[in-house]
Amino acid sequence: MKKLPYELWEPVVGLEIHVQLNTKSKLFSSAPNRFGDEPNTNISVVCTGQPGALPVLNKEAVKKAVQFGLAVKANVALFSKFDRKSYFYPDSPRNFQITQFERPIVTGGSVTTFVEGELKTFQINRAHLEDDAGMLKHFTNFAGVDYNRAGAPLIEIVSEPCIHSPKEASAYASAIRAIMLYLNASDGNMEEGSLRIDANISVRPKGSTELRPRVEIKNMNSFSFLEMAVESEMKRQVALYLDNPHRTPEELIPPGTYRWDIETKSALFMRAKENSDDYRYFPEPDLAPIVLSQEYVDDIRNTLPELPHDRYNRYVSDLNLSPYSAALLIQEKELCDYFEAAMKHSLNPRQLCNWITIEFTGRLKERGQTLISHKIPPLHVAKLVHMIDNNVITGRIAKQVADDMVASPELDPETIIQQNPDYRPLSEIAEIEPIVDQILAANPQSIADYKAGREKALAFLVGQVMKLTRGKASPAVVNELILKKI
Amino acid sequence: MTYLALDVILTGYLWMIMSKFNEKTLENLKKLCRIDCTPEEDKDILHSLGRVLEYVELLKEVDTTGVASCNYVLQSMLKNLMREDEIKDLLPREQFLSNAPDQIGGMIRVPPVIKGS
Amino acid sequence: MTNLHHLSAVELNKAFVQGDVTALQIAEYFLKRIENHNQQLGAFLSILGPRMILKAERLDLKRSQNKPLGKLAGVPVAIKDNMHIAGEITSCASKFLKNYRAPFDATAIRLLEQEDALITGKTNLDEFAMGSSNENSAYFNAHNPWDLECTPGGSSGGSAAAVAARLSLIGTGSDTGGSIRQPAGFCGIVGYKPTYGRVSRYGLVAFASSLDQIGPFATTVADVALTMEVIGRHCPHDSTSLDLPAESYSLNTTLADVKIGVPYRFLENLKPEARANFENNLHVLKSLGAKILNIDLDILKYSIAVYYILATAEASTNLARFDGIRYGIREKEAKTLDEIYEFSRKEGFGREVKKRIMLGTYVLSAGFQDAFYKKAQKVRTLVIDAFEAAFAECDAIAMPVAPSGAFPLQSINDPLEMYLQDIFTIPANLAGLPAISVPSGFDSRQMPLGLQLVGPQLCDVPLIQYAHAFEQATQFTRKIPPLFKGSAS
Repeated sequence: MKKLPYELWEPVVGLEIHVQLNTKSKLFSSAPNRFGDEPNTNISVVCTGQPGALPVLNKEAVKKAVQFGLAVKANVALFSKFDRKSYFYPDSPRNFQITQFERPIVTGGSVTTFVEGELKTFQINRAHLEDDAGMLKHFTNFAGVDYNRAGAPLIEIVSEPCIHSPKEASAYASAIRAIMLYLNASDGNMEEGSLRIDANISVRPKGSTELRPRVEIKNMNSFSFLEMAVESEMKRQVALYLDNPHRTPEELIPPGTYRWDIETKSALFMRAKENSDDYRYFPEPDLAPIVLSQEYVDDIRNTLPELPHDRYNRYVSDLNLSPYSAALLIQEKELCDYFEAAMKHSLNPRQLCNWITIEFTGRLKERGQTLISHKIPPLHVAKLVHMIDNNVITGRIAKQVADDMVASPELDPETIIQQNPDYRPLSEIAEIEPIVDQILAANPQSIADYKAGREKALAFLVGQVMKLTRGKASPAVVNELILKKI
Repeated sequence: MTYLALDVILTGYLWMIMSKFNEKTLENLKKLCRIDCTPEEDKDILHSLGRVLEYVELLKEVDTTGVASCNYVLQSMLKNLMREDEIKDLLPREQFLSNAPDQIGGMIRVPPVIKGS
Repeated sequence: MTNLHHLSAVELNKAFVQGDVTALQIAEYFLKRIENHNQQLGAFLSILGPRMILKAERLDLKRSQNKPLGKLAGVPVAIKDNMHIAGEITSCASKFLKNYRAPFDATAIRLLEQEDALITGKTNLDEFAMGSSNENSAYFNAHNPWDLECTPGGSSGGSAAAVAARLSLIGTGSDTGGSIRQPAGFCGIVGYKPTYGRVSRYGLVAFASSLDQIGPFATTVADVALTMEVIGRHCPHDSTSLDLPAESYSLNTTLADVKIGVPYRFLENLKPEARANFENNLHVLKSLGAKILNIDLDILKYSIAVYYILATAEASTNLARFDGIRYGIREKEAKTLDEIYEFSRKEGFGREVKKRIMLGTYVLSAGFQDAFYKKAQKVRTLVIDAFEAAFAECDAIAMPVAPSGAFPLQSINDPLEMYLQDIFTIPANLAGLPAISVPSGFDSRQMPLGLQLVGPQLCDVPLIQYAHAFEQATQFTRKIPPLFKGSAS
């Protein structure tokens, strides 16, 4: 296959992210806002579109939308309103969605995050509230409609077309997700559909500022799919342009909507834009506008929880974590909060961070668990790190203790160490000396080699001592003793 | 020409290009609102709608320059009416399904649909 | 116990409370009347006999236990069949919903039953409340009790006929462009459309959300006031419901110091009979102390155009939910999803409903929305402004309720001519104003005529006071249609 000069082109991507807010009840219906229950058990007359039912706005959803707007330093509209968006589909209880088309609650704003080590800022165009559709479940000879999700509160966040690579796309989306988690506005659970991404993708020669026709890929629910989609769509479009130099962009890229298919890991054509519905937006007459006071907005601003980027800055400047570690830690709020809890009992943030994000997370991943799901108390991890710092145990022993903690999550590391004599450190010279003497006596050639200048021989001798002490001796102490003796 | 007259003239121009409500318009309309009709109904509807659309052209003589859209008929509506985030007034599934034309496994049954279309 | 149907609701309630008659007797009496007369009148689509008897028995028990009784205790009330009574069918006079059982009570119905009203049944209407003559019902016509060949008006024709024929003493209707007031005028009874938002729309099957209001029919203004005290309350299930305390309606018999505005130029094309009656009405108002003055409401000549754009636009989306998926009929022949939509809506909706949905879809569609929908919204603002300016000079506005008395069934076939019936009633809906129709005399055919009074937004109480004064001075409301005057045999 011919290799095309993709590097001379750049993708122009705008993302529309739909985030389900974690309110107790739905946006306009007081039915439960919950995932995973039996079909049609979380419904009311409003979210099943019964005649005579009327929407009533959930104030908590408004609050979360305002929190989001303030978190991305956007403009929060003191006056915004709802509109009806008409289209026929079985998952729509009324065959119109209530959304905010003309006057959204949030406009502007930006998100700053790391993209492969480099700090970048992405502009947001707007964010608004709207209600979700139900779910259509597909079977061979029929489809079933479940309205549990119908009416769930969504905030749709629309970026400017300022994203120019697959990594930028996933970094931006990930940063939006982190903000929603830190605000406690959503559980951000992408497998359950709490966060869905639609991408609008076009390409252009690098350096140009034109905007060529674009294609929409809908409903991606993982960051890796998003990256794949951007990558493959970009290549497809570039190939079309390069193979057909005399055709216009409008001819080559007709507007269309694709659906991301999980099985084939590719974008499947859904419909051409020409055939798409005329949505006939007009103001929703059943709802009052959202009228907010400056006081209300200021109050929310003053009570915003700590946001991901603020926490990142605090970790780097106050806790002296490396930018890489800090960026890694803030991505998963649950884990980051765990770190915060453990920090209350620790004086070594760097080590703590390492043990949480790498050592323990690595071990638990094999079991499909996290520190939180596996219920290892933060205090225990803090204690482990503390013991390493105070030379109560060696780093090597600590790894074994960690294994034991994972096997028995309720056990305190201090208890584990007490119960297992093998874990107690051997630092007493008196205990180590005889073993050193034993090894030295058994390996005269190594001593001679070391004296002849081979450093490796020393390491060998230290290793032999470590083996006999089953790792309990402090390598530094063993080293010192051997050197003294030879 | 004053700005006042501009609005009237502009709307008048739009009316001119649109006043042709014909069979094709009707066919598109039927697709948009998902209603099928008999040929007899088509004829009657075409005639009636034509009459009404011709009548409402009356509005183009009204000068609405600078006039705001009436989105809320009562000024007193221009304030919030929101509810607490509480779960209540659930519709029991059996009651919901008792009015359903076709159901299966607790869901409303419909013919198979091409995914995402 | 003779002729209970000659009593007003207030009088019957008093008789019941005093023990002169039991609730069971009342229920049996009115159910008998309905049984005897509904065939010829076509007022009721469903009669809730067993339910009414049960409620009556419970009410009698309540009274015998000296428990406090509701304001409407013992009063038979008919409900327009586009309002929900939980567990009962709400058909909206449409084939689409012929088997649909309401999953909840409309707030207005719940409030009525809370005050011990006895519901007789669900009344006939134009399908989905779209019409001015009740001829668009998918089931059968309703007839005017004064002349069975004539329409009772629409869309709340059934409730108006039921109350005028004294088959119930109170009826509920819904008014989007005059659907309470015009039938009240045609049937010689009182009909009231409250300020928009005064009565909850929760449980009313929506036609045009920004125009619909539920309101009472009754044989006297006092009965209307009583009903408004019961149903005119804030409802947390309806975001357009006025967040104001319930009003108490006191009644006046004088109009001293009241200024009544008349839009003479707007009324200049009134036919001679209607004009003569209207002038008489103005004399009565003057004799009660009112001052009549001219006001400018020329903009109202555009009301019908504005209404048929906005109401149909809203209706086209409100009726989109009737798609054969979750409830209502689903065409058996339909094999694909598109067929379910298209065939069910084809079979389920009547001609007028289809026309209005299509018109509404058209005026909202891409390329046309600016010229139609948005333009109409702006003219609506002008209508509201014109009323506001008029009310700076007067306390209420007087107009006929309709261009004439009730017309014979099937006599109007031109859609536009039918729409023009609502010329005097539509403006109050556009501006969200309270408006009442009071019987004002008879035409040369001995058919009733009605006087309409329109008040400023939120001024429901004074408006009803003025209507009461006019009613007391003219006594047209106590007249019962000859065919229905006698007692049930």
